[in-house]
Amino acid sequence: MIKFSFYSSAFEDAISHMLDFDIPGEIYSSLIVMLFIIILSFVIYFKFKHADPLETRPHGFILVISSAVKLVRNFTIDLMGKKWEPFAGYVMALFIYIFIAFTFSLTGLPSPASYLAVPLSLGLCTFVLIHVTAMRANKGKYFLRFTDPLPPYIPAFVPINLLSMWSPLLSLTLRLFGNALSGYVLMSIIYAFLAQASGFVFSFIPSGANQLFFAPFVTPVLHLYFDLFSGVIQTLVFVMLTMIFVSQEDPDTEEEEMLTLKKVNN
Amino acid sequence: MTNAFAAAIAVLGGAACAIGESRIVSHALDGMARNPEMYSKLRSSMILGCALDETTGIYALLMAILCLFVG
Repeated sequence: MIKFSFYSSAFEDAISHMLDFDIPGEIYSSLIVMLFIIILSFVIYFKFKHADPLETRPHGFILVISSAVKLVRNFTIDLMGKKWEPFAGYVMALFIYIFIAFTFSLTGLPSPASYLAVPLSLGLCTFVLIHVTAMRANKGKYFLRFTDPLPPYIPAFVPINLLSMWSPLLSLTLRLFGNALSGYVLMSIIYAFLAQASGFVFSFIPSGANQLFFAPFVTPVLHLYFDLFSGVIQTLVFVMLTMIFVSQEDPDTEEEEMLTLKKVNN
Repeated sequence: MTNAFAAAIAVLGGAACAIGESRIVSHALDGMARNPEMYSKLRSSMILGCALDETTGIYALLMAILCLFVG
């Protein structure tokens, strides 16, 4: 038997414990969501590849997908200006991922949005986009934002600006996380209460089976609000805020909008 | 026990959120009554504003949950 004596015991420990990480269920849910989206995108790709481009009136699956793409593209152009049309791809990806992740709790598995790392990474994407856009648009003047109300040789506002820099990240993250978590906590409280009440009313049935009678009639409406409605609204809010934050860093966009407004007014 | 009191105080922030939301809806309704043609546009912006305003209530709830289970 070959023995690798050059491995230190700490390294061996690290290798042997590599596979028994304590991965929470939400991460598995997120992986399932990603797998679903990958399969969906391949299906869409092959459907469109084999679709007849000369068909004047598309129908079914192709119609739904193409109208969704058109809707998102128009939405992006309306909010960010004509220049930002390529950004629609990222917007679509955010829409699909956040919506499916938020409503994933309808399947009974935990929703990825109720685990802080997932909204935090989505918020970090937006945060990086904001600052990269600002750097690309303003070049060296980017660093003027840290001494903002005062001229750059008086660094009195630097600590305040360094703190307020993180506020979009914090608000985006906590908005998504708080909505998902509050829905989850409220639903589990209601489920526990209904199980107790049902066990109290149907106490003549042996325990365990008598807790199942109330929940199916009460909770679907609440799931409709806390999962579906909340999911749609929060997805929309997250995406809109991302688009607004990113586009307001670019001074050209505002000028373009002002020009179009002037044209409309004339 | 103090955790529960802290959570109760934290969740009082929901009151401010409710007042803000009521103002949003009442002003949107004013606008809709004055100009019924704008109904659908006003309704979608109203729902978006409500969602943004609800965030403060969600923060309060989050703080309450943190007080109960973490602190």
